[in-house]
Amino acid sequence: MKSKALNKMLGIMLALVMAMSVAACGQQPVSEPVELTVFAAASMTETLTEIAEMYKAVAPDVKIVFNFDSSGTLQTQIEEGAVCDLFISAAQKQMDALDASKSGGDNPKGQDFVEPGTRVNLLENKVTLAVPEGNPKGITGFEDLAGKLKSGGVLMAMGNSDVPVGQYTQKILAYLGLDEAELAKAGCITYGSNVKEVTTQVYEASVDCGVVYATDAFSAGLTVVDTATKEMCGQVVYPAAVLKTSRNREAAQAFLDYLKTDACMDVFEKAGFSPAE
Amino acid sequence: MDWFPLWNSLRIAAISGVLVFFTGILCAYYIARLPRVVKGILDVILTLPLVLPPTVCGWFLLMIFGLRHPVGQLLQQMGIQFVMTWYGGVLAASVVAFPLMYRTARGAFESFDETLAWSGKILGLSNTFIFWRIRMPACRQGILAGAVLAFARALGEYGATSMLIGYTPGRTATVSTTVYQLWRTNDDAGALVWVLVNLAVSAAVLLAVNLLERRNKQGRRAV
Repeated sequence: MKSKALNKMLGIMLALVMAMSVAACGQQPVSEPVELTVFAAASMTETLTEIAEMYKAVAPDVKIVFNFDSSGTLQTQIEEGAVCDLFISAAQKQMDALDASKSGGDNPKGQDFVEPGTRVNLLENKVTLAVPEGNPKGITGFEDLAGKLKSGGVLMAMGNSDVPVGQYTQKILAYLGLDEAELAKAGCITYGSNVKEVTTQVYEASVDCGVVYATDAFSAGLTVVDTATKEMCGQVVYPAAVLKTSRNREAAQAFLDYLKTDACMDVFEKAGFSPAE
Repeated sequence: MDWFPLWNSLRIAAISGVLVFFTGILCAYYIARLPRVVKGILDVILTLPLVLPPTVCGWFLLMIFGLRHPVGQLLQQMGIQFVMTWYGGVLAASVVAFPLMYRTARGAFESFDETLAWSGKILGLSNTFIFWRIRMPACRQGILAGAVLAFARALGEYGATSMLIGYTPGRTATVSTTVYQLWRTNDDAGALVWVLVNLAVSAAVLLAVNLLERRNKQGRRAV
């Protein structure tokens, strides 16, 4: 009895497998679900995950797979041949290095991954000065911080020179007329190896203040006392582009267009992003 | 060149080495005498930092001594702060290095011939005398090995240290966190310098131990 039932089941499974392989061989793009691989900066984890849920209602046959990491890591993975349909970077630098329309120092290896005409500036983030709960040192803004750093009474966390947010912080320090090397020597600066580490140090009150993105401050629930202006550190723009290696360029373009709709911008803006100008 | 990271690493390793040396021996000595079940439980707890990743130890330390948490706040009111200070480095290194001292010391104590201690008692010697003048010299080899391992581990501590005290140049930077930071910022030449410094220190420590051991053996043969 049992073996009969087993045989029957095996038969059905075999038939199913055969039917599936036949379907796979046949060219039926209409009914076939599309899998989109999106490489995006780690700071977009929460927002894009939410948007992917919303997108299920818009395009039910599109399945979105995310790979969130620091933009530099994503860039390396793309260079190494990772399958990626859409790339959203947290800075222009990483996108430039993959874009054949850029040359020289911007694209030192002369790489050609970006599908021409698809690259857009999607979002803008802000660099902010965040403090722990209760603001123990009473820091009111960047100007106030400059004075307090000079007198040596505060400990500030920032990303190191290899992290984008660290590079923005260096610009801010220069704008304020502060000498980073001197402050570091005086023990006023502690360095984190990515923006999340800096965020946690502020959250845990291990430091008196830290320079992080508005979105990171928001997701960690930190108190933001000041926001850097364009003059202080330039703009923080997130570019997005469909890649040439994509096997579903149309679906990737459709998702990119969807990201620019009001519904998605609402999600982004709630998290502290703003639309890129 | 700023030698602060070396000085900081050495003072952290030296102080935590001394702390761990005495606490490890005390724990090993007293726990070896406890009933089996209690011994088993304490043994697991005290050895855990050895098998746990340093990041897990760091997380626990941060959850206890962080300034958002009761113990950390209480200590702060008393003027003691472990996060982002070099004392925190001593704490992290001690916790991570402790099991090495404790384990090796316990192993040495367990292989100690108790009849020697009893003979001492019969001769009317005090417990303190027996411990320091009979038990410790007899277990010298194992205890020395434990101390060296603990010191070396404390010197090389990275994970828990970086989570608890971060990397502040001139304040909390150690050799290991400096190497990581220089590598992260694409300064391989700078990292190499500190790697060589670290190699030199470690080699010196091992050499000193070997010399010490040889002298010990010779001394014994003479007796």
